[in-house]
Amino acid sequence: MFGEQLLSNLAQGIVLGCVYGVATMGLSLIFGVLKVVNVGHGAFIMVGCFVTLFFFNSLGMSPFVAIPAAFLLGLGIGYVFYYSAIRRLLKAPELSTLLATFYMGVILQEVVKLIYGSEYRGFRWKVGSLSLGFTSLPMAKLYAALGSIAVALILYAWFRKTRAGTAMRAVVEDDEGARVCGVNVGGVYAMSFALGIGLTVASGVMLAMFLPVGINPYMGAEYTLKAFVIAVLGGLASPYGAFFGGLIFGIIENGSYTFLAAIPGVEPFGMTRFLSFAMLLIILLIRPTGLLRAK
Amino acid sequence: MMRTLDKYAAIFPVLVVYAVLFLLGLNMSGMWQLMATLLFYCALGQAFNIFLGMTGYVDFGYVAFVGMGTYGMAVTITSLAGTGLGGLTIIAGYIMALAFSGLLSLAVGAVALRLRGAYFAIATIGVNEGLRFLIEGTNLWGGSGGIIFTRQLNDILGKDASSALATFWADVLVLIIAVLAAITTIVYMRSKIGYALTALREDEDAAKVMGINVTMFKILAFMTSACFAGLLGATAWALKTPYVFPPEVFEIHYTIEAIIIVMLGGAGTLLGPVAGGLIYGIGKYVLSIVLPGFQLLIFAPLIIIIIVAFPDGVVGGIRNKFGHTALGRFIL
Repeated sequence: MFGEQLLSNLAQGIVLGCVYGVATMGLSLIFGVLKVVNVGHGAFIMVGCFVTLFFFNSLGMSPFVAIPAAFLLGLGIGYVFYYSAIRRLLKAPELSTLLATFYMGVILQEVVKLIYGSEYRGFRWKVGSLSLGFTSLPMAKLYAALGSIAVALILYAWFRKTRAGTAMRAVVEDDEGARVCGVNVGGVYAMSFALGIGLTVASGVMLAMFLPVGINPYMGAEYTLKAFVIAVLGGLASPYGAFFGGLIFGIIENGSYTFLAAIPGVEPFGMTRFLSFAMLLIILLIRPTGLLRAK
Repeated sequence: MMRTLDKYAAIFPVLVVYAVLFLLGLNMSGMWQLMATLLFYCALGQAFNIFLGMTGYVDFGYVAFVGMGTYGMAVTITSLAGTGLGGLTIIAGYIMALAFSGLLSLAVGAVALRLRGAYFAIATIGVNEGLRFLIEGTNLWGGSGGIIFTRQLNDILGKDASSALATFWADVLVLIIAVLAAITTIVYMRSKIGYALTALREDEDAAKVMGINVTMFKILAFMTSACFAGLLGATAWALKTPYVFPPEVFEIHYTIEAIIIVMLGGAGTLLGPVAGGLIYGIGKYVLSIVLPGFQLLIFAPLIIIIIVAFPDGVVGGIRNKFGHTALGRFIL
């Protein structure tokens, strides 16, 4: 019974972990290139959830179609925010960018609230489920995990194979050096920010599969915090690290629930959260480059 | 004598503003609540500024110290109710609030202050959230149900006294905390501590090489700031509204408010948090009357514009302009 529960939670954790991973890649990408922490991160995920909702409920289209749409919308939002504010704040102290990105999130929240109101919404994409013997996984969630892996692979290929991706990696390594070699560093900054936001909004489409009744303009805060933990697990500045960080986080979050629920007098939901923030602090202190990378 | 006066002249504008707010609230009917809110914002800004403004480190989990102060008072009142200590319970509550926020800041400061920039900001968010979920997860102090101690407070002080405390005296105590925080700020600024903090804010490595014990000064500023936060929590949250719920006292939004107040006024200045508190408080009040329900939609882009256009805040901007004139001694 206990073993079956654990296995089932672990399976859920792996599936959700892929989505967590892709939902954090944008945060890491933006931090890696611009050294800006996007404190409004969760709000961008929330926008992605609403895009999915719009495609599914209003247009009657598959969530697969919503992925590129959400990505393009995010790209646009990213460029607007970059050129209107972030660009002017790159030289300012952290305080400025932290506040600015937080309030960008607030703007999105309020705009979505204006359109959709603040009640909880959601949808069920009925495409059957996969039986694993000890548990069954809804296909919608599996598709979300596969979609996440596909997005991560596309990003990887884009980084490795295109000129723009190479330029971005060059700026991460050494922005002065990249400038000397003729890379348009300002352009790379803008593109990285927009790409990071695009990825984040697109990841909201995947996350929506896990929230049949939990989509709300204010849902983002929780995911901002989770994304911080995941990003730190993966080294904060590395998008691939973030993907594996998400996987690890999903497994620990869901796996530990089974153990914590067995301890009397403990409220397991709160404890899994506590565990994740304890993990964040420990990793920041002993291994700020992340679990995966040896310095 | 003259020199001492000159040295501390910059505190006078702050005290004048506080006195005006207090008298306005006292003498104009219906204004007390607004003035009390403004005083709270000023006090919060002033307290946070001691760390954020003077060191340049961004503590994104600042509200945790306000929360711990609230818990300190709440736990003391609930456990001492029925012992017949009366008003002494409140004093014990303050000592407990200081102990809670002071010890937490010592622990966090000793460990997290070795991180810099974004890493420090994320670590402090982690402390804030971790603490909240530790309380909820282990059912400490009532867990997610929180503590409601209206009845105990009534038992201790009597019904009339405790309602007078909630509607009037708690706000007066906030004013006193605000004044204390302002005095502490100027004393720090005009002493070796201020010079050391300025040096480390501008270039920590250089300050270290010059022989400044940066760790000690950082922890000192961090703890001072946290203790004032604890006092504010014990007063404005615990005594004014006798209940405490973890999701509320660890709500990140309050940290953001404190940051905005410091930032709007001018980080690292004495007058800044007061100016910031007034601008933020009045702005929020006006928007909530003129455009109820839409205030955030207006506020959010406005804040971004201000951050981009006035990176040094109001007082910072004024000081850049008038700092060298005769007025300069009053602008710090």
